[in-house]
Amino acid sequence: MRATIFLSILLLLLAACGTPRRGEPFGPLTLSAQGREGEEHFMRHCHQCHPGGEGGLGPALNNKPLPGFMIRLQVRRGIGYMPAFPAKTIAPQELDALVAYMKELRHGERPQ
Amino acid sequence: MAISMRRGALLLCFCASLSGCYALRGSSGGGETTFTPPRQVNAADIVLPDGYLIEAVATGLTFPTGVTFDEAGGVYVVEAGYSYGEVFTTPRLLRIDPGGAPTEIASGGKRGPWTGVTWSGGHFYVAEGSQLEGGRILRIDPEGMQEALVGELSSRGDHHTDGPLAGPDGWLYFGQGTATNSGVVGEDNARFGWLQRFPNFHDVPCRDVTLAGENFTTGNPFQPGTKATTGPFAPFGTPMEQGEVIVGEIPCSGAVMRVRPDGSDLELVAWGFRNPFGLAFSPDGRLFVTDNSYDDRGSRPVFGTGDLLWEVRPGTWYGWPDFHGEHSLADKRFDSPALGKKPEPLLAAPPGRPPRPAAILPVHSSSNGFDFSRSQAFGHVGQAFIAQFGDEATATGKTLAPVGYKVVRVNVSRGVSYDFAVNRGKENGPASLLGGGGLERPVAARFDPSGENLYVVDFGVMLHQGKGARPVEKTGVLWRISRQTGAGGNR
Repeated sequence: MRATIFLSILLLLLAACGTPRRGEPFGPLTLSAQGREGEEHFMRHCHQCHPGGEGGLGPALNNKPLPGFMIRLQVRRGIGYMPAFPAKTIAPQELDALVAYMKELRHGERPQ
Repeated sequence: MAISMRRGALLLCFCASLSGCYALRGSSGGGETTFTPPRQVNAADIVLPDGYLIEAVATGLTFPTGVTFDEAGGVYVVEAGYSYGEVFTTPRLLRIDPGGAPTEIASGGKRGPWTGVTWSGGHFYVAEGSQLEGGRILRIDPEGMQEALVGELSSRGDHHTDGPLAGPDGWLYFGQGTATNSGVVGEDNARFGWLQRFPNFHDVPCRDVTLAGENFTTGNPFQPGTKATTGPFAPFGTPMEQGEVIVGEIPCSGAVMRVRPDGSDLELVAWGFRNPFGLAFSPDGRLFVTDNSYDDRGSRPVFGTGDLLWEVRPGTWYGWPDFHGEHSLADKRFDSPALGKKPEPLLAAPPGRPPRPAAILPVHSSSNGFDFSRSQAFGHVGQAFIAQFGDEATATGKTLAPVGYKVVRVNVSRGVSYDFAVNRGKENGPASLLGGGGLERPVAARFDPSGENLYVVDFGVMLHQGKGARPVEKTGVLWRISRQTGAGGNR
């Protein structure tokens, strides 16, 4: 239990310390085919609140080490003022692509 | 062991969610800072993709909002003469000489803001959004003689007359923003300053609309301590009936209109916009506009709506005041933290179904003036370069981080946007927040006639310190972005 609490706090601190910036000027982001598809879904559904995965109306995503299943859970269920996106809005294969894109974005180049 | 793992996972989820909880965190907009003049200007503090270069062309401008060029490549800028925060200076049309010094061509008394300028057929055309006298489209000759082509535009409220843009068809296109945030005059408009000047001013639809019967009871800024009830498309304190028909008029609010260069034949192009600030034609002749979306303020706050880039199709209704993009505001996704529920429709039936936007841009980014690249020399032909003025938190609503303060590139066929010019560093925001001499509030972007240089108009410092906007004079900059060889693909 102690180890779990420590891990949770460590992850929270990591989330607060990492820069969320990725962006084109800081280095080209090479996407897979699935990531490229996911990029379009991200722009349509997520970008307005999480611009480029950085903070905006909503919090930054690029510096949060969330695993894929948690991203899916949050997209489907929403949380706080983030609305839910059911399957009729983002189809399952579209969500797969979206998660792939978010992971590739998270691992992209960092600013100098 | 299984129980401990489950508790650990729940704790993990709880901690992760806390770090982003909108309700718990304070606002961190880009204007929520302090500033001591003079503004530092240093192009090295701005990052662009490899192969692109930015330089300051002119500095010390006051509230610049637009740029244009004559056939000889001469560069001209308009200064607004008005800023949110109720600051009135003098609107001016300036020629910028190669050394960056301005020469006044024309001025506009107290009729600001001048929100944009274009050059066509040997004349300048200026969008005069006069906060005090109503909007006009002006024709100004190279010697500074002015003539109003169109007047009585609905420009005394929150948003103004915008553009104008000379179309390939010979018409002059311009935008007209709405008086209110979402259709209802309220206390927020008193904070803007115009309600006290024009207590009967309100939005005017472009076509007949039938009301759903929603009215809004608020405090009364004219009689503090009392209440007033106001309906849509009506003066403050005027309730409206269910089924009441509001007759459409031209000119109207929330529209793109066009007029002949001699001022004749004013006509509606499309309506249902909120603030169609930027207008540009793509290389293949399609008209696009940027449309600033709803704020989380006033009698009918609307939460979570990103600015939109629209392709404009004549005769189309684009959704204001009851839609965002394709989505009705009655959709659960628009539940408002302020209301505790989603906004109710103001119209008994929508006049149409808005199309899908070409792109959805960040909430509160204030995506404004833009242009399309037409030159292989610059690259990204057919893609839009949009100046993002930046958030005005908390007046427009809370943000968890600064939004905008950059130039973005948009692939309109895919709806994907990329940062193009941003301030250097690990965080986003204006230079006044981050330090350094980079971008403050880009408000317009326009390619010169060669297509090889993108000029970016930077409005300058505008703070928001809890008492509304506080702009700073003489902090505006005109930037120029050009490309060195070998850069600029198409993605």
